[in-house]
Amino acid sequence: MDADERRALAARVLERSRADATEAIVSTTHRALTRFTHQTIHQSVDVEDVVIRVRAIAGGRTGVATTNACDDRGIDDALARALALAAVAPPGDEEPALAGPASVAAPAGAYVDATARAGARERAEIAARIFSHADTHGYWSSGYVATSSAGVTIATTAGAGLSFDGTECGANVKMTGDDSTGFAEFHGTDVRGLDGDALGARAAAKARASAAPVAVDPGEWTVILEPPAFGELAMFLADHFSAQAYDEGSSFLSGRLGERVVGANVTIRDDYADALHPDAPFDWEGTPKQRTTVIENGIARTVLTDRTWARRLDRPNTGHGLPAPNARGPYPVDLVIDPGTSSLDALIAGTARGLLVTRLWYVRVVDRRRTILTGMTRDGTFLIEDGAIRAGVRNLRFNQSLTEALSACAFSNERTRTGGYSYAAVAPAVKFDRFTFASSTAY
Amino acid sequence: MLDTALARGAAYADARFERSRSERIDVRNGDVAGLSDVRSAGVGVRALVRGAWGFAATDRFDDAALDAAAARAVEAARAAAGAGRDAGGTIPTDVYVDRYATPVERDPATVSLGDRVALLLEAERALHSAPAIAVGHAWIDLWRTDKEFYSSTGSCIEQTLFQSGAAISAMAVGDGDAQTRVWPGDQGLYLGGGWEAIELAALRENAARIGEEAHRLLAAPQCPSGTLDLILGGSQVSLQVHESCGHAAELDRIMGWEANFSGTSFLDPAARGTLRYGSPLVTIEIDNTMPRGFATLAYDDEGTKSVRADVIRDGILVGFESSRDTARRIGTVSTACMRAESWAHVPMIRMCNLSLLPGDVPFENLFDDVRDGVYMESNRSWSIDDRRLNFQFGTQIGWEIKNGKRGRMLKNPTYGGVTPQFWNSCDAIADRASWFEWGTPNCGKGEPMQVGRTTQAAAPARFRNVEIGVGYGR
Repeated sequence: MDADERRALAARVLERSRADATEAIVSTTHRALTRFTHQTIHQSVDVEDVVIRVRAIAGGRTGVATTNACDDRGIDDALARALALAAVAPPGDEEPALAGPASVAAPAGAYVDATARAGARERAEIAARIFSHADTHGYWSSGYVATSSAGVTIATTAGAGLSFDGTECGANVKMTGDDSTGFAEFHGTDVRGLDGDALGARAAAKARASAAPVAVDPGEWTVILEPPAFGELAMFLADHFSAQAYDEGSSFLSGRLGERVVGANVTIRDDYADALHPDAPFDWEGTPKQRTTVIENGIARTVLTDRTWARRLDRPNTGHGLPAPNARGPYPVDLVIDPGTSSLDALIAGTARGLLVTRLWYVRVVDRRRTILTGMTRDGTFLIEDGAIRAGVRNLRFNQSLTEALSACAFSNERTRTGGYSYAAVAPAVKFDRFTFASSTAY
Repeated sequence: MLDTALARGAAYADARFERSRSERIDVRNGDVAGLSDVRSAGVGVRALVRGAWGFAATDRFDDAALDAAAARAVEAARAAAGAGRDAGGTIPTDVYVDRYATPVERDPATVSLGDRVALLLEAERALHSAPAIAVGHAWIDLWRTDKEFYSSTGSCIEQTLFQSGAAISAMAVGDGDAQTRVWPGDQGLYLGGGWEAIELAALRENAARIGEEAHRLLAAPQCPSGTLDLILGGSQVSLQVHESCGHAAELDRIMGWEANFSGTSFLDPAARGTLRYGSPLVTIEIDNTMPRGFATLAYDDEGTKSVRADVIRDGILVGFESSRDTARRIGTVSTACMRAESWAHVPMIRMCNLSLLPGDVPFENLFDDVRDGVYMESNRSWSIDDRRLNFQFGTQIGWEIKNGKRGRMLKNPTYGGVTPQFWNSCDAIADRASWFEWGTPNCGKGEPMQVGRTTQAAAPARFRNVEIGVGYGR
């Protein structure tokens, strides 16, 4: 279903609605995945779906219903269910409102036809190139190669009519040897940039370099996190940037706008138009997204809003609304951490004794207000001594306040799109002067 | 659809039609923050070509769309078969023609939307029982799923599943701290069944206490650090079973099928029958026929009949959660744990109902001979390594135990350990009176991640000499 067909479907929803005001969101997805282990493809998947989400407002009350039945009967059923929900919803303090007309432009490179057209055979060929590196080194490989296309159209009776089409492709690779593992990933919008050879070689090199890992004592270390590790960690700040969390007091930013909250070299933005992660230029309420700097040179500048929280806090709507109904509040989906000036190699060369971490696993919040996180290293952890990588290291568990770590850090000058299915962020590598590990493993 | 798959070269195919309805109500700080009703229908088809599986799904039911989906599944299988090594998939031999429906005491449809909203508004209001409550939140989830499974070997299985759950949550904020309490358990009460689950949650009856506890936690002393005895409440034992047994015993994980994301396992099929996983008190079983189980149904999503099977018996590892293909590789039969989140997802091995059997100690007697320890309830933080060994968990609330008595409230409790050592330190499990079918609505696994609904029934339990306070440094 292309944008014109989505627009026609959304218009049909609005025409058939008897609510005082109606929003129709038509989303299409075509996602495909080739997943492998031990040089064997064990999941080969191809899924198509169209979803219509209807938000109906009647008498100042709101109900939301969703269907993937696109005929008139399915649409009428969804509209009736949304109105039935609205009928029992108590009126809120604020009059609900829908987005009006707006003009937006999709960022360059968001949609690549080659990605949208990629098939199972192309994904399998990329996987086969990864397999060859595993076979060469006597490793077994696991991972995936994925391609997808998605489209969304938002139309409201207040005059909004926005559409966006995007593609995604990605691969991640884990190489497993006798006593070590290695990891590599790529995420973007253009499948032609997805190089199975490069990924296989990088993951194999990591596994080779971390063989015969040594044990190190837990405790406070200088640590360098490569982008997959740092991006995952940084995503745990995303909830704190919400105006809802800020106002309710659960954010580390609560009451601290205008203050220095992390190191002066830290700038964190939400940017739908970043060249490495071009995304939809509007949010799920039909509001144009603002490219927003939340933390600038260590100073908390603003928080992110949607229609509700912009109104409640009398702040500009930054366009970070999630699909209704939304009890979570606004949320950044295009996080970017600005790079520094040194290369990753220079950060390593400038480290007398420390650890280099490729990837993290199972990161969770221990203490929300203090941003204490716990998690494990995995798939390539190394000891740095006298500015050079000396050995692989057995994996470690950390407990660390992220904001405290960001108060004494340096970033690499590389920018990497990281995350895959779980999140998307653009991040450099980071060197933390102090990072605390609590325990270690036997592998 | 199946004919198309066979005609295009598949040796076997199955199709799973699903219609689902998800209803959710959220009340937050006096507002109805969300009223949603999501319906989805579609069909997922699996095709087997030269030992490799392909999966395709569509939301369209016309002949052309069904044929196209079948063709895409065969194409995906053929591409998989042509790359890499033999995947080893085989044609199933068991054939069933059957129907099943979740027993429901009270159909949620008989409870009006107005009454559902009124219940949550009242419960949420009662959470604000103390001045520091910044956020009160109450919610209800109701699901109905109708599945039809057809295979090219003749299976025809119709199942209707009802699953329901509800919770309240209070967050207190003050002095740079935020403390949250949830009831029941750590994320609500979720069961297989209807409105009776919502009634069992007793939201109104517990809301004021939960609000007060969140408020009191702000001023409570920090949980101490040290090697102490530990008593875990039932829902936290459930989480412990889930993370350090349930995921560890998934056979696809053991075989490396999840290695790049969810990880592998410290378990080895060769250890079956010999590995001492826990103390002799520890028996953990799969029972996907269990009444009120959140994951209870009659057949899994590759058409295998649900079973009851031991994973750990008297502390010894004896079995795994498995599918047909993985079980065959180790010479056993499937424990029927193949589930898909929806019609649009490929079935994979999931933890279903996997429970720690109760012991014989009344709950209050667990405290009797604890000289110095901590009692912890309701999970707040959970993390475990990618082989399911090194874990660290935190709970919402704790209480000091001194000389057999539960004492003052503690905040920020955490503990950590290594899976087999921890389960071997278990020296008492509470009896059936405090055993409950704790359901988890959001178990994640796979790429793209699939959300599974699972039950780990458990009772409170006691563990000796555990590292406590690890999340805040020692």
